[in-house]
Amino acid sequence: MTPEPQHIVSRYLQQRVLLLSLILLALLFVVTAALARAYHAREDALAKDWADKGNSDLTANKPAMACDDYRNSLSYVPDNPNVQLHLAEALLADGRLTEARSYLANLWDRAPGSGEVNLDLAHVSMRMGDPEQAIRYFRSAILGSWEADSSRQRRKARLQLSEFLLDNRRTNDAQAVIAGIAADTPPENGSAHEENGHLFLRVGDPVKALAEFEAALQTDPQNSEWLAEAAQVAFENGNYSVAENYFSRAVRENPTDDLHASLALVRDVLRNDPFLSGLSEEEQTRRSWNDFQLGLDRLKKCTSTGASSSSSNNASSTLDTLNTDAQDLQKRVNLSALGMNPDLRNEAMQLVSRIEDVTSQICGPATDIDQALKLLKKQQEGIHP
Amino acid sequence: MKERKEPVDGTTAPAPTSDATSEVSNGIGFKWLSPLARSVKLSEGNLFLLLAIIIGIFSGLAVVCFRIAIEWARLALLGSALSPPHIRVLLVPAGAGLVVAFLVQKFFLAARGSGVNQTKAAVYVFDGYVPFRTVIGKFLTCSIAIGSGQSLGPEDPSLQMGAGIASALGRRLKLSRDKLRLLAPVGAAAGLAAAFNAPISAVLFVIEEVIGTWSASALGAIVLAAVSSAVVMRSFLGGEPMFRVPAYTLGHPAELLAYAVLGIVSGVLSLAFTKIIVIFRPILRAQPEWTHYLQPAAAGLLIGLIGLKIPQSMGAGYPYIDQALHSEYTWQILAILGFAKILTTSLSFVSGTPGGMFAPTLFIGAMIGGAIGGLEHQFFPQVSASVAPFALVGMGTFFAGFMRVPITSVFMVVETTGSYSIVLPVMISNTIAYLISRRYQDVALFDILARQDNMELPSMEEQREQIVLRVEDAFRQPNVPPLQASDTLARALEIAETSSEDCLLVRFPTGRWACIARKDLPEIAAKHPKETQLREVLTTARLPILHPDQRLDDALRFIQGHQLLPVIGRAGSRKLEGVISLPDILAAYQRAS
Repeated sequence: MTPEPQHIVSRYLQQRVLLLSLILLALLFVVTAALARAYHAREDALAKDWADKGNSDLTANKPAMACDDYRNSLSYVPDNPNVQLHLAEALLADGRLTEARSYLANLWDRAPGSGEVNLDLAHVSMRMGDPEQAIRYFRSAILGSWEADSSRQRRKARLQLSEFLLDNRRTNDAQAVIAGIAADTPPENGSAHEENGHLFLRVGDPVKALAEFEAALQTDPQNSEWLAEAAQVAFENGNYSVAENYFSRAVRENPTDDLHASLALVRDVLRNDPFLSGLSEEEQTRRSWNDFQLGLDRLKKCTSTGASSSSSNNASSTLDTLNTDAQDLQKRVNLSALGMNPDLRNEAMQLVSRIEDVTSQICGPATDIDQALKLLKKQQEGIHP
Repeated sequence: MKERKEPVDGTTAPAPTSDATSEVSNGIGFKWLSPLARSVKLSEGNLFLLLAIIIGIFSGLAVVCFRIAIEWARLALLGSALSPPHIRVLLVPAGAGLVVAFLVQKFFLAARGSGVNQTKAAVYVFDGYVPFRTVIGKFLTCSIAIGSGQSLGPEDPSLQMGAGIASALGRRLKLSRDKLRLLAPVGAAAGLAAAFNAPISAVLFVIEEVIGTWSASALGAIVLAAVSSAVVMRSFLGGEPMFRVPAYTLGHPAELLAYAVLGIVSGVLSLAFTKIIVIFRPILRAQPEWTHYLQPAAAGLLIGLIGLKIPQSMGAGYPYIDQALHSEYTWQILAILGFAKILTTSLSFVSGTPGGMFAPTLFIGAMIGGAIGGLEHQFFPQVSASVAPFALVGMGTFFAGFMRVPITSVFMVVETTGSYSIVLPVMISNTIAYLISRRYQDVALFDILARQDNMELPSMEEQREQIVLRVEDAFRQPNVPPLQASDTLARALEIAETSSEDCLLVRFPTGRWACIARKDLPEIAAKHPKETQLREVLTTARLPILHPDQRLDDALRFIQGHQLLPVIGRAGSRKLEGVISLPDILAAYQRAS
């Protein structure tokens, strides 16, 4: 059937208008696309400028200004997670914990495995007095994903967790975390090992601390600072032979007065230590006798000066007792007796230790050889491994 | 033909013509279309749907350009920082107010106001006619006004621009008057969907506020237009929800009590906000005409003064809503921001500055919600969660109380935030705010504004709540039982003697009903033996049947030409429930009034 002419005309008109509309639509699309591109480019540029300004302000320790800058940036790119994170960090730095937490919670919803977000949330929880939550976030940060340099970031998170645990007196937990840090530290990273060493010292584990300093020295044997640190740990641990080795190397690399003094002290200890392994009987006897004589001299001097200067009756009576014990022992001690009787050598050295302890309390700190004698006590008590 | 009225700006609306011959003769370059026109048959219904998509795309593009224009105006006038320099804050809104007032008064008078009522007027008064000049005027003046920091939003203008684009296309296509009327809401939904990036809310708003009914003929086109415009908008400006909110979970059922309190406060404040606008708008409009050139500038100056201390109260304020949703303000600051925004938005709106109320309403709601949440959290930390969910719920609650669109407000919160978990508190709080607003303000804001503009537009709220009379309210029991088609004439005569009805109902075994007039019975009986069955003598057409739940308006249409109609139950037995006549229907209407 042929359509009526009137309908054809109407349809013709409609199709003409529709076609024109489509052409116009295509033109408008092109124009709008160009406008939108320019608009987005401008927005991106503004967002970047404000974010850069925020970074500068945050670096310059102006967190309040940084917050404004990041907010300006976010008004152009509201979904930029990096700027949101920076804003949260700026808010955190400015002490606006609730606001920071809110931003971070939003970021966490979108990326619960993000190491950075979890670390920041750990900081917020830490500062809001929620240690359990903070620890959970720290652990999530350690296990989480990091955009760049993940091993360094994880180590940073672990270090912060260990610090937090130490501050909260959870030494055992901290020790476990630090052991984890040490296990994951690459052998070639000397400064990381050095840092581990200090952490082990903080949890009271000098043996592992020394091992870390030694691991650090493997990467840079001439590092005078690390040599000194290793020497000091060995020295405080009563491991004087090792300490002497490191002090002497440290002095070679960096001959300071302090290091010289420490080296001299260690050498005094080593020279006077009758219990040092590998010594002959004669040498042990000679050193014991020598130490005993030095102890008696120290007691004598202290009795003459200390007793008069000290107003305390208690000090005087302690010195009297010590003098009595010394006189008793002096009757039995001579070179041949010491040579034949190892128990007597021990007894003599114990008295020397007592003398050094008591005299340092009453007559002031021991110096030079007396200090070395005092340190021998550690050797005697077997503190070192 | 119905006389065509003039739109408010005085532009004469051209009457649509059905004769397109002259147009065709001008289309020299399109002769090749003739074979295509013959081969492609597009019914008006299908054309309407296709048009809805085209309108959606046009509106989406227009709104994208509008949003970009606002942003560029803001950058040019106020700078790129959220807190602009003081000198600009003080001078720019006032200066821009002068420019906008001049443009509006001289060229675009219809661009005044938000645009929602103008679109309603287009549907109900101007046969769907929205001058295209209004689209241009709205685009220009709102870009400058909002970009300069006037406290208004881009959504309602987008709605009107969408309606204008739709109307222009419809006129070009010489659509029928009915279709033209329907096109304005289609375009309005498209504009709003693109502006809000929320197609569901846009569809609901247009249905709740502009057309008032779930008209099947319009719904498909409205949805298509809204979706296509939202797609266009998202492809250019991104598909992310308008606001990014932290995840919400209802901690304790008692938390809902806290949201109920928010509903009460928001209801009261939305009422106060409505009163301010309703009282001051006519006062300012009644001032001499020359003052209309200065009112937006004066409002701008006052806004600038407020903006010196509270820059957040300027412009649409979306970034600050986002900040409130992230608990960035204390409850005291939130309360100050909420009240400041009420003040600045009232100044902008009552001064006649073109711009929308959606964004400021959301802003105020978010701030008030956050403030209530923060306050409750301070005193009842175990009941109230953080500030953010309260700000979120507050947006919808204040919107429900102020705009009086309770369903739209719920979906709007969900769509603009992408958070569905918040629905329960939103529903509770919105309902309370809406009920309070209704209780103390009989007429909704848009209806009052229409009346202030000397237009009596239909109130969608009233329409929704009008008592609908149904057949069950009017039918009665027949005073005699119905006859069967197998009954004899003698039986019919016998029944007729006892009946007072003019018409005796006759039921056929097939379920068909017929009527035999009482006055005709003696004549029929004279022509046929008394034993003749009624089916043999009844030649009248079948009667329409009604059901008790049908609207009485429908019954009124069906009863034309019939004295009595049967009312049949919908259940399987198709039992006669009663009968209904024109006097019964009229009596029911009389009782209801």
